[in-house]
Parts: sequence; structure tokens; C-alpha cells
Amino acid sequence: MIMQEPADVRKYLPLTEATYYIMLALLEPRHGYAVMQEVEKTSQGTVSVGAGTLYGAFSALEKSGLIRKVSEEDRRKYYLLTSKGREVLAAQIKRFEIMAQSGRGVALQQ
Amino acid sequence: MESQTVKKFRWFWPWQDEVEEDWLREMSQQGLHLASVGVFGIYSFAGGQPQDYVYRLDYINPAKDKPAYLRLFQDAGWEYVGEMSGWQYFRKLAQNGELPVIYSDAESKAEKYRRLLVFQAIIFLMLLVLMPKAETSSLGVFLEIVQVIYLVLIAIYLFLLTNTWRRISQLTKR
Repeated sequence: MIMQEPADVRKYLPLTEATYYIMLALLEPRHGYAVMQEVEKTSQGTVSVGAGTLYGAFSALEKSGLIRKVSEEDRRKYYLLTSKGREVLAAQIKRFEIMAQSGRGVALQQ
Repeated sequence: MESQTVKKFRWFWPWQDEVEEDWLREMSQQGLHLASVGVFGIYSFAGGQPQDYVYRLDYINPAKDKPAYLRLFQDAGWEYVGEMSGWQYFRKLAQNGELPVIYSDAESKAEKYRRLLVFQAIIFLMLLVLMPKAETSSLGVFLEIVQVIYLVLIAIYLFLLTNTWRRISQLTKR
């Protein structure tokens, strides 16, 4: 079976580990530091995102329309995943599933 | 006790920012904490108790977004020290020997140097375009002197571009 990924989704893949967790955190509106904490939590401590990395990711994701600013409070910007962002995230998760599936049998034989 | 202010001059190439970060940390460990950064590598230090401050330099021009940019860093525990021509200086106390970073992966770190490369490339192109030509110049006898200055600057920027580019490829090829 061949995976069908629309070209405008495909061009953002694969996401870096940090970008993946950042997008996952933005399924709900969150500001910078809240995203950092959420990433730490959902990745079970395997990924921590630095402030510079996060600020750069916000700029890049907003520019490509994968996230949008929903509010600003006390100089904190809250971002949320757009529908395009959700599509990209879903496609990435699908890829992870394929990767995990294809690797599973191999790991057991070793 | 009156705390003394010490000014120091030190030159770093832009791709040596990590060496600069280490130097600033050593200064703090000796009780000299960066108070402000001036132009052309002039640093002001305030004397005090030795502290294990870890310094991190970002290269970015957040322009109108600077308040939100600084807020994000402050929320993450970074103290803002100041800016020197696009370089943003932050510090944070080391905890349990752990050295905090602002760029947590090589890709985003390379992005920092790419912003620097773009800036250097713009200056470089401007130098090329603006270099006075014999046919159009009204500089007379000064023309050759000005042209030599331009050539030196162009050579410096070629050197800057090459080394910044080298730093980026170090980070991206792994």
C-alpha cells in the first residue's frame, strides 16, 4: 500500500522532534513557557525545548500557517494549531506509526 | 560595600560565540558579572560574589516583537543582560552542574547562524554595489584610497561569510 500525502502537507515532513512536540502541545492554546513544560511532560522528559529553539519554531510555524496567534496577555503570545497544522501533525503521526510497525518485528529478532 | 565596575575589551569573531559564553561564565565565577554590553566588544562588569552564571548568546532581531521575545526567555528563567549589534545576551544560574541552553537541537542552532549569514551577505552585496567606479566617481585623487578601503571590507566580509557558512555546515552535517 502506498501512503497518499498531499504535496502541501508532505513538504513540511518530517518534523523535527522538537517541532513535533511543540505542535502537539498547540492542540490547545498555549504560550511559550507553557509549551516548554508540556513538551517536557508529553515526551516523558526525552525532549526539552530551549527558549531560542521555541521562539524560532513559533516564527517558522506561524509563517507557514501551521499555527496562529490566538491572544496576547501580559506580553505572552498564545498560539494554536491551524487546520493545516492539524493535517501536517496527523500525517507525521501516521509516518511514526509506519516507522514503529516496520521496526517492531526487526527488534524482536535480535 | 560599593561594587566596582570593570570595563574590558575583547574581540570575538561571530562564530566564536560559544567561546565568548565560556569566557563570560569564567568572569562570573571570579565575581565579575556582565552588567552591559557596548559596541565593538566593550563589556562592563559589576563586581560581586562569585556565581556560576551560564551565559547564552542569541542572534536575532525581533524588532517590534522584542517584548514577547524577552518575556518567553524570562518565563524560561533567563535574565536579559543586553544587546550588541543583533546579539542578545542572556544568563541563568547553573543548577546541579547542569548547563542550561537556549538552543536544544543542532537544526535550530544552525538557524541562528543562518540569520547571521543573511545579514553578512546583505552587507557584502551592498559593498559590491556601492564600490565607487572610476567612470562615475567624483572622488578624484581619493578614489583609489576609497577603493582600497572597499576592497579590504569586501575581503573581511568574504572571511566572515566563509566562516559563518562553515559553522552552519558543522551543525547540519551529522
